[in-house]
Amino acid sequence: MRRSDLGEFEEVVLLAVAALSPGAYSVLIAEELERETGNSVSTGAVHAALQRLEQKGYLRSELGEATAERGGRRKRLFTVTALGGRVLSEVRAVRNRLWDRIIPNIRLEWS
Amino acid sequence: MPHIPPRLADRLLTWFCAPHLREDVLGDLHERYALRVKRLGETRANGRYWLDVLAYVRPEFIKRKPSEYANPAMTSMLRSYLTIAFRTLLKNKGYSAINSIGLALGIACCMAIGLYVFDEWQYDRFHANFNRIYRVVEHQKQADGMHNVAVTPGPLAPTLTNDFPEVEQTVRIGRWSGTVGYKQTVAEATEMLIVDPSFFRVFDFSLVAGNAQKALSSPNEIVISERMAERLFGPNWAQQPIIGQSIDFTKDDHFTLAGVAKNPPVRSHLQFDVLLPYKWLEKTDEWSQKWNSNSYHTYILLKPALADASADLARFEAKLSGQLKHYQSDTENTLYLQPLRDIYLRSVFDFQTDWGQRSDILYVRIFLAVGFIVLLIAIVNFINLATARASQRAREVGVRKTVGAKRSGIVIQFLGESLLMTSLAVAISLVLLQTSMPLFNDLSGKSLELPLHEPMFWLALFGLTLVVSLLTGLYPAFFLSSFRPVQVLKGTVNSLGLSVKSGRRFRQSLVVGQFSLAIALAIGSVVIYRQLAFIQDKKLGFDQSKLLYVRMKGDLRFNALRLKREVEKLPGVARVSATTSDLVDITNSSNIEWEGQQPNDAFLITNMNVDADFVSTTGMQLAAGRNFSWRIPSDTSATMGAFLINETAAKRMGWTPEQAIGKRIRFWGPLGRVVGVLKDFHFRPLRVSIEPFLFRFRPDNPYFNMLVKTAPGASSERVIAGLSVAYKKFEPVSSFQYGFVDQDLDAQYRVEQRTGRIILYFSILSIFVSCLGLFGLAAFTAEQRTKEIGVRKVLGASVASIVTLLSKDFLKLVFVAIVLACPMAWYAMNRWLQDFAYRVDIEWWMFALAGLLSVTVALLTVSFQSVKAALMNPAKSLRSE
Repeated sequence: MRRSDLGEFEEVVLLAVAALSPGAYSVLIAEELERETGNSVSTGAVHAALQRLEQKGYLRSELGEATAERGGRRKRLFTVTALGGRVLSEVRAVRNRLWDRIIPNIRLEWS
Repeated sequence: MPHIPPRLADRLLTWFCAPHLREDVLGDLHERYALRVKRLGETRANGRYWLDVLAYVRPEFIKRKPSEYANPAMTSMLRSYLTIAFRTLLKNKGYSAINSIGLALGIACCMAIGLYVFDEWQYDRFHANFNRIYRVVEHQKQADGMHNVAVTPGPLAPTLTNDFPEVEQTVRIGRWSGTVGYKQTVAEATEMLIVDPSFFRVFDFSLVAGNAQKALSSPNEIVISERMAERLFGPNWAQQPIIGQSIDFTKDDHFTLAGVAKNPPVRSHLQFDVLLPYKWLEKTDEWSQKWNSNSYHTYILLKPALADASADLARFEAKLSGQLKHYQSDTENTLYLQPLRDIYLRSVFDFQTDWGQRSDILYVRIFLAVGFIVLLIAIVNFINLATARASQRAREVGVRKTVGAKRSGIVIQFLGESLLMTSLAVAISLVLLQTSMPLFNDLSGKSLELPLHEPMFWLALFGLTLVVSLLTGLYPAFFLSSFRPVQVLKGTVNSLGLSVKSGRRFRQSLVVGQFSLAIALAIGSVVIYRQLAFIQDKKLGFDQSKLLYVRMKGDLRFNALRLKREVEKLPGVARVSATTSDLVDITNSSNIEWEGQQPNDAFLITNMNVDADFVSTTGMQLAAGRNFSWRIPSDTSATMGAFLINETAAKRMGWTPEQAIGKRIRFWGPLGRVVGVLKDFHFRPLRVSIEPFLFRFRPDNPYFNMLVKTAPGASSERVIAGLSVAYKKFEPVSSFQYGFVDQDLDAQYRVEQRTGRIILYFSILSIFVSCLGLFGLAAFTAEQRTKEIGVRKVLGASVASIVTLLSKDFLKLVFVAIVLACPMAWYAMNRWLQDFAYRVDIEWWMFALAGLLSVTVALLTVSFQSVKAALMNPAKSLRSE
């Protein structure tokens, strides 16, 4: 797996989609990320990341229902594809392996 | 109550965001806005909304999605346009021919004029220092006011280099005449200049033999042109060691040949065959070193920095202006600068002090205007025919629009058609121009040719094609592409008629415009021809017919009266007179003093030295007193001689012709009495009014010409042959040069004659082209109204009434054009005639003639079509419906 395929923000967005599905779409994701990180996240940035992820084949999308707040416009719902899930778990595995190699003493010093 | 996000932000987003993402993006934004209003309040939500919108300014959202359907390659659409264009071209052969021939004529005229103007513009530009060369010229104070003269004193040039750091180099150029000889060969130089050695450094005249750095720096060196070298040394002069050879000058002067110069380019105001050093002149002519004699052109080469900065240049000119005063305290003359680029086209100097080749910017402008007028008329034709025939293309436009053509596509199609047509016309015009070049050269007095090997020419031609096709195509393209498919395709006659009618006003004003231009040109040529005829027939106050002049050269100038006695005996010679001038444009004027002169009263009088036979030879008339006489010794006395004056001179000095007799006058030294007053005669072109004139009778002074009146019925060839023999007897060295006074007088108006002919030809062309357009329009109207004419005929209309019906509309336009053209032409021609002190009046019949002519031609053009339409069998035109 090429690590450069998945940027840090993309990874977070991809995770958010997985966490919020079914029914993950950009506004929800942006709000969720804002809440989780405390930084402001624009739908534009999320939307762009979603587009890129879809292009890479980690996500797929379909049009959902329209609501009144949206002015009668439909939302685009995203779900993680099998490829996307595999990539996520690989990234996680790499991290875990590295975490596990950190000497417990050092971890203690951080906390 | 739902809150509405800022509309402007939405508008912005809708504008930049790709359409296929709009729904998504706007939905997200609005939903989040609603959330934020609840959480943060409207004001802060609005601010965040703007930030969010701006966050979408990324290439991913701006980039438009490629169309889902395959775009047909642009070429296939172009091919369709091209096919259709060719089909319409071939389907309407008549219209196509009218259009392309008219346009080709216009373009050919425009190109011919362009070549002419370019040729004039190119003069003197071959000098590398073109922008830095100036001529120092003078405002000269004379008895009758200030005059501009091109000549300056000889000692001026060295002071300029000394006193002004801005001046890099100077050249003085003087004019001289004489013969040059090598061994037995003698040749007379038409153009002989006296120059400083810097001549070759300031100007780009190069030497093919000899050293340009050193040539003419010693007083006995001479440089000749290639032409002159060929005349002196034969055709293979280049192979001979001619540099350093001794060249005889006139009688007994000898020069060493220091160089052979390349023939000066045709497009140079300086022309020469022989160059003599200024140093030689300083030795032989003391006037060349005096401040109070103006005889030389002074050119300066400015330092590069100065020529670029106009402020510095103005400062330098201000300093220069008083230069004469520094060296000659009693002078009131001032100096100013004339750039080299102005010398050829914009020189206006008095007393014939500018002797280089010259042209006139006025005539360049006239030609330019005329060329553009013809082109304009041709372009108008094109626009007219294209819009008139719009109904034929209307269905096509309708169909194209219905199957999805955009307006821009249709505009491109019609612009392309006009480009095609224009290219065709340009090709035809090239052929036309190539074949008519000799005619145009004859008209313009130049030797132009199409610069077919110049890439710049083709580039200019390409530019012209583009501009013309835009001009011709823009209006029809927008007019045609504006049709609404629903209206056009409904096919009712009414809606079609409507769409054609909408451009009618416009077309009519175009026709009026083009006809008024053409008629104005026609009136112009009538006036010019009247003025030329007036000049030709004008009684000049002397009889110029059968009057020959012979130039006196060398010592013959002092022996003229001996030659005269020989010539008088020749068969066929009626009268002979020795004079200083040949009666063509005499400008030798000076101050005069007279009896009863008031202190501050002064004027310049033109003068001529003649003998007692002058009056009878030229046929001038006495208004009072008597002629000079050989038998009265006091007439030629040095203490109290005799003068003849003209009526204007008598009037200027306050006398009637009778009172003038016996009055004392002092002119050029000697005192004398007025013995007779001659009736006024024209001694200058008719552009200027008659001024005071004085005749002297000084047989001991040189005579420069001999006037010979041939007897009635005598052959002038035999007289000339006899004259030549007699002349050679007295003056074997220089060539026998003669001419006819009437021809030379006529030649003074060559520019006007040339202009007259060019305007005549162009006005004929422009009327022709306008009529081509009218012909097309008439044919179109007749075709449109075929059914109407059929019905009228069935109901009993006569042929005559139908012809009137069809022609009336067009003739109305031509009449309006005449009304518009008259004041325009009157104004322009009045301006032109102001140049002449003696001129014809612009009379009503000139307008009437031009108007009648154009109405007749227009009527013929239109009636050809209307008669054809009126004669048509109604059964045929009404059969199909």
